[in-house]
Amino acid sequence: MGLLAPWFLAGALALGLPVYLHMLRRHKNTPHPFSSLMFFERRTQSSIKHRRLRYLLLLSLRLALLLLLVLAFANPFINRPAAALAGDKLLLLAIDDTFSMRAGTRLADARSQARAVVDARGPSDRVQVLALDSTVRILTQPTRDAGTLRAAIDSVQPGDAHATLDSLARVVRSIGESVRTPIELHLFSDMQKSSMPASFGEIALPANVSLLLHPVARDAPANFVVEAVSAPGQVWDTKKARVQAVIAGYHSSAAKRTVSLVVAGKTIATRTADVPAGGRATVEFDSLEVPYGFTRCEVRIDSADSLPDDDVARFAVERTDPKRVLFVREPTDSRSELYFRSALVSAAEAAFTVESVPVNQVSALQPTQAQYAFVVLSDLLSTPAPFEQALTKYVRDGGGVWVSIGTSAARAPSVPVFGGRIIDSRSYARDGARFVSVGQVDPAYPSVEQADRWAGVKFFFAVRVDPGDATVAARLSDQTPILLEKKIGEGRVVLFTSGLDNVTNDFPQKPIWVPLVDRTARYLSGTESRSGSRVVDSFLELRTAKERSVSVEVTDPDGKRPLSLSEASTAENYQLTRAGFYELRLASGRRDMVGVNPDRRESDLSQISGEALALWSGKGGAQAEQAAAVDPAAAGQTAPYGVWWYIMLLVCLAAVAESVFSGQYLGTQREGS
Amino acid sequence: MQRFLNPDVLAGISGLELIAKTVVQGFVSGLHRSPNFGFSQEFAEYQSYTPGDDLRYVDWNVYARSDRLYLKRYRGETNTLLTVLLDASNSMKYTSHAVTKMDYARYAAASLFYLTSQMQRDAAGLIVFDDELRDYIRPSTRQGQLHRLLAALDRAEPRARTDFAKPILHFQDMLRRRGFVVLISDFYDDPEKIVRAAEPMRFHGNEVLFFHVLDPQELRPKLREPMTLVDLETDEALEVTPDYAQHEYRAKMDAHVKLLSEKVRAAGMEYKLLQTDLPLDDALREFLTLRQGRL
Repeated sequence: MGLLAPWFLAGALALGLPVYLHMLRRHKNTPHPFSSLMFFERRTQSSIKHRRLRYLLLLSLRLALLLLLVLAFANPFINRPAAALAGDKLLLLAIDDTFSMRAGTRLADARSQARAVVDARGPSDRVQVLALDSTVRILTQPTRDAGTLRAAIDSVQPGDAHATLDSLARVVRSIGESVRTPIELHLFSDMQKSSMPASFGEIALPANVSLLLHPVARDAPANFVVEAVSAPGQVWDTKKARVQAVIAGYHSSAAKRTVSLVVAGKTIATRTADVPAGGRATVEFDSLEVPYGFTRCEVRIDSADSLPDDDVARFAVERTDPKRVLFVREPTDSRSELYFRSALVSAAEAAFTVESVPVNQVSALQPTQAQYAFVVLSDLLSTPAPFEQALTKYVRDGGGVWVSIGTSAARAPSVPVFGGRIIDSRSYARDGARFVSVGQVDPAYPSVEQADRWAGVKFFFAVRVDPGDATVAARLSDQTPILLEKKIGEGRVVLFTSGLDNVTNDFPQKPIWVPLVDRTARYLSGTESRSGSRVVDSFLELRTAKERSVSVEVTDPDGKRPLSLSEASTAENYQLTRAGFYELRLASGRRDMVGVNPDRRESDLSQISGEALALWSGKGGAQAEQAAAVDPAAAGQTAPYGVWWYIMLLVCLAAVAESVFSGQYLGTQREGS
Repeated sequence: MQRFLNPDVLAGISGLELIAKTVVQGFVSGLHRSPNFGFSQEFAEYQSYTPGDDLRYVDWNVYARSDRLYLKRYRGETNTLLTVLLDASNSMKYTSHAVTKMDYARYAAASLFYLTSQMQRDAAGLIVFDDELRDYIRPSTRQGQLHRLLAALDRAEPRARTDFAKPILHFQDMLRRRGFVVLISDFYDDPEKIVRAAEPMRFHGNEVLFFHVLDPQELRPKLREPMTLVDLETDEALEVTPDYAQHEYRAKMDAHVKLLSEKVRAAGMEYKLLQTDLPLDDALREFLTLRQGRL
């Protein structure tokens, strides 16, 4: 027996406090006057004896409480034989049920091996079953009941998620902190290489945990997979819609694969992909004939490998009529409309038609989101006040406006709708430099694609605007903000501080112009956030902050509604946990459909190297030596066994008893007084 | 009016005269027309006129018929003399509620004085004592006697110890005229000794009434825990237990009360136990019963 923190024994000095208080209280005795003691007799002996007895009991309880508390802080331990400790251990059975375990009979093998471990455990061993998914699911509490354990093992079904071993290590570390007995972690997995985290330190296990690996796959079989599909989420012109698919082969020899495009369960096109050994091939379908509304589409390959579930990639396509874009310009300005319209039409995926209106005809216009996908204000000298008010309301309700400031708008005091003050305008063509180029670009901004190619654009004229609380996405080399964004209400305004023509800059003549217009159009119209396919375990945004109490509806691949009524009216996000098609009715009233595919890292069935596994399980390297050093059973010694929680239990009991006795005593005193 | 006989209510009234008036009027109004206690001009007897008698009481109708002078006497006009002996020792300070034993004794005495001197025009006197004779108001029917008595009651603050034998010896000289003697005390002494001291008053032809004033806590003490009690007269401290107070003390106190009442009655005197939480009408009723018996 010993103490791990003996300096806490100094707290025993506090024992003097109750002794002092009890001595004070013993001397306190208030005499009560009485008319005559003629009929009283001195019975002091019995009364004092009675009082002392009760006082001593209370005093001893208080002393015991303090003493036990001090002792608990001193962290006492007893030396128990290591064999006794080792005999009372906790077995953690972690069964990998990620997507890769669907290959062959991996999951069935894992379950049977887990059952074998349960059957072979010691009589005093407790077992807990975990399922290793994207998160670690605890299927049972530590128990010795074989029936419960077998039921939990059998309940593990193949999933679609991707997992990394660091999440398992975190959970085991947490269990190791709360459980004092030795822990044996049994991992039943295919030991997929992609499950290893970036740093080995993230899967380090505590000293009282010994790891036993049960690999259920001995080699990495050849596997073909539809690795990626590039398809539009919305289709306006089916002739222009393109579908690109990347077919990958892992550990495979060169092979030809038949790739099919399946629309609503019907194969509409077939291509052949020549997949090199362990490489990738791309196939393209040059049309996507889908009916109006949402359509379930798939790209399939005929691989006949051990993991057939990754031979298909799902995506959903919505066919709609092209949406209108309101383009407001000065009556004399025709260049900006020309360049903008050309770029928008050139973009294959953008389903927009441009409605160009001179500024002197917009006073009566009241744009709504149902009418226009977004609005462009191109270099307007002045904006009619009623139209500006209507536009501001349009933005607040969730609409998007793109404002460009050229030589005309530079003379106005402020930017319409955006609201920023115009500081000055800079005509670089008149300066010696003749032009400036883009200095900084935020590559993460949705409008920006291929940020490195922005540097070649020449700006001859730009307007300096006070950005206020707006986000600056790009600056010129003289630090003039060139692309800004401000959120107003539920919508947003994008400000381009130069013109949309080839007079103030040569942007429209550069190849980067079309992606800028296309991406900005999609960003402002909200179609950018819609994507026809997602990865398992990604999240869908169901509502905005404004749509708090509106109910949403999610239908999973089985046609069931996984959200309860309360969740349907409150949940802001939904995690897509399974592969398949999900149908949604969002809080905004918009219907949507997404095809969900497993994480393609799961398709690479390469295994973790034997050295890494040996290092992790402590059978080699420094960790093994460390484990051996702390393994009491191996050293044949006794091991310290902390007993502080037993003492804390006694503290609680003493505190309750003290509370009861002192309550009675004080209650009597109160009544007596 | 009956509620004004409650001692706790009386404690809120300032001035003994008002208290006495309240008590007596409340008591009398509660009597209705009881045949036992008459204060009206009820005829009692004829008495032969002797020179010096007040001519106002001569029955001139009888004189007209018989040519003899007779005085017409009424019950309410019989000459009585009331002397109250008030114990003002320290033990009378004790109380467990709003009214001390001394206050209660004062109210009782004041009520008796009011009844006697204001309503019956009898002589009333007061002797205040502890272990010595402290105050003496000679019985009289003079104008202002009630105020003198009440003032003496006001002055009578408890102090010192009780000793019946010594002051009562002095009373013998003061109680030469026969009448009523009301002894108000808590009687913390040997009953034998108390009765022996009071017996001479009875032998002188007085009607002696013992008003034994006790607080309910003295009769039935309730202690929650062992505590130290201090004797108000001797300052002696004693640690007592609830168990003792509940059983042995009560038995002793009951025996003391019983013995005292028996001894008092055996000596031809009257005894009444007055609890300070009970209304005062018991005291008045006892006094009037005694007075009725005397007439």
